[in-house]
Amino acid sequence: MGSLLIDNVTKSFGETDILKGINIDIQDGEFLILVGPSGCGKSTLMNIIAGLEDATSGTLELAGKDVTLASPKDRDIAMVFQSYALYPTMNVARNISFGLEMRKVPKEERDRIVNEVAKLLQIDHLLDRKPSQLSGGQRQRVAMGRALARSPRVFLFDEPLSNLDAKLRVEMRTEIKKLHKRLGTTIVYVTHDQIEAMTLADRIAVMKDGIVQQLGTPDEIYNNPANMFVAGFMGSPPMNFIEVDIKEGQAVVESAGETHHLKLPCAEAIAAKGLDRVVLGIRPEMITEPKPAPEDQDWLHSMKLDFDVVEPMGADTMAIGQWNGIDVHSRLSPKAGMTAGAGTEVQVNTAKAVAFDIQTGERIC
Amino acid sequence: MVANRSFNLGRLFIYGCLLAFALFYLAPLYVMLTTSFKDIEEIRSGNLLALPQDPTLYAWIKAWSSACTGSECQGLAPFFMNSVKIVVPAVILSTVIGALNGYVLSKWRFRGSDLMFGMLLFGCFIPFQVILLPMARLLAELGLANTVTGLVLVHVIYGVAFTTLFFRNFYVSVPTELVKAAQLDGASFFQIFRHIFLPVSLPIFTVTIIWQFTQIWNDFLFGVVYSGPGTQPITVALNNLVNTSMGGKEYNVDMAAAVIAALPTLLVYIFAGKYFVRGLTAGAVKG
Repeated sequence: MGSLLIDNVTKSFGETDILKGINIDIQDGEFLILVGPSGCGKSTLMNIIAGLEDATSGTLELAGKDVTLASPKDRDIAMVFQSYALYPTMNVARNISFGLEMRKVPKEERDRIVNEVAKLLQIDHLLDRKPSQLSGGQRQRVAMGRALARSPRVFLFDEPLSNLDAKLRVEMRTEIKKLHKRLGTTIVYVTHDQIEAMTLADRIAVMKDGIVQQLGTPDEIYNNPANMFVAGFMGSPPMNFIEVDIKEGQAVVESAGETHHLKLPCAEAIAAKGLDRVVLGIRPEMITEPKPAPEDQDWLHSMKLDFDVVEPMGADTMAIGQWNGIDVHSRLSPKAGMTAGAGTEVQVNTAKAVAFDIQTGERIC
Repeated sequence: MVANRSFNLGRLFIYGCLLAFALFYLAPLYVMLTTSFKDIEEIRSGNLLALPQDPTLYAWIKAWSSACTGSECQGLAPFFMNSVKIVVPAVILSTVIGALNGYVLSKWRFRGSDLMFGMLLFGCFIPFQVILLPMARLLAELGLANTVTGLVLVHVIYGVAFTTLFFRNFYVSVPTELVKAAQLDGASFFQIFRHIFLPVSLPIFTVTIIWQFTQIWNDFLFGVVYSGPGTQPITVALNNLVNTSMGGKEYNVDMAAAVIAALPTLLVYIFAGKYFVRGLTAGAVKG
């Protein structure tokens, strides 16, 4: 009942194409995250879904019904804005019930819903206050309450947590996830924070320059990125990209003055394309201190790495060295007690290493 | 101690200047008020700055109800009412239209809306004199020459440029996301205006109403050109009263009449002046 089909939607402002043909099929009850750098068109797409802007071409179907030309109020969609957009002159209760009031829901019914929603979000003691008397986190809850009150088919969240401090953001993130579990309503959520994307989403759509670069589960996006942009965008620190020569199906890497040949899981695909130089992509957590990894036994290489910088982060220690003259990040266990210095012994696991075409940035395998 | 003394001297200088300027500006008002309470004998013989020795309301009563303005001798009372009949609808209409214009031009932009706003702004800079003849022609065509309705129309048209500017600049500072949120909540164009914009508009309404009230009440040019014998506003009547001399000049009546004509705008400033200043700066520091 809350499925959403975005079919070849484009948007242009004069000569500038903001969206260049977006196709996303969102299942009922799905939590879809639109992620990408600023200017990628994700907020525009959100506005088009809400009906606040018109698509230049393409269609939008909500629950099997064409709503491309429907006005926002007829779409049964609620939105939580980045700035919360609470009505400044109304108290919390009226903010929450305003949408119901506009839809002519009787007073007793409205009061019942406001109380229910306020309890759910733990803002029942704030109902008489004005938005200016609330903290950031409380405003955030009221904004969500306003969206919840109408029990819409689809929730839109436009970077809802970006104005909160780090601690509160993590808290609210968990609450949104719980809320989704509980209500099971379809959610489309825009963010530029890849951690939010990874933790919340059923599926993620990574956007850039008005094009969906990849649409997939967090696991697919993280482990099987479609191109260098997706691989570089998801993960912190991002995936290491090193241009390497390919010799006999193996990547040639020079580290700490020694040359190593790394076995790659996709040697055949590279050979099939006849490439002798590719961009090797390897996540920082695949370069570690020596430790047993029985299932990846065939993909382990040990080598020496010169660490220029070591950054202890508590749970992990990030260390930066160089391969082929390019910085590589590695994620070590703090127990290994690594310090900056030359010739540190590390273990490289290439089981999940990927390769990209140097020219196009597309994934080879 | 030296610093302290120079500080005091500085203060003294500043307050001295302020006092001097205040006296300078208040002197005419003082003369008007004192003269209006004197009888004509005292004015002829006495000092201009002296307080009335034997205060009388004669001049005020005459100015209000029996002084001659041309051939009629009914005082200012009927003209005062004319002004009220012109000012009240003109202020309300121009303010309401300005509010809606400002709302549309700031939150419901359309192709060419900026051009339209620019052209409206242009209206603020057109001198009154330029449109006198074409407007007279238009009023005649509309059958509104010499009528209160005609004067209201002229003032509304002239006022809309300013009121639109005021409201547009105020509403620009209201976050557009509020409009989006209200749209999603199912509110219509006018519901959004009523529930979201009107409640935050008190400061700008105050500014606009004071501004328009003062402009229209004090207008002389449109009043003298477009009014007929029975529809003259008080400014025109004051002019006629002062220029009509039956026998000797009655300065006390002239002064009382001038104060009566100026009283409404004076009162508006005294009672709403602080809101005026507050409203002018409200857009700048919106919390």
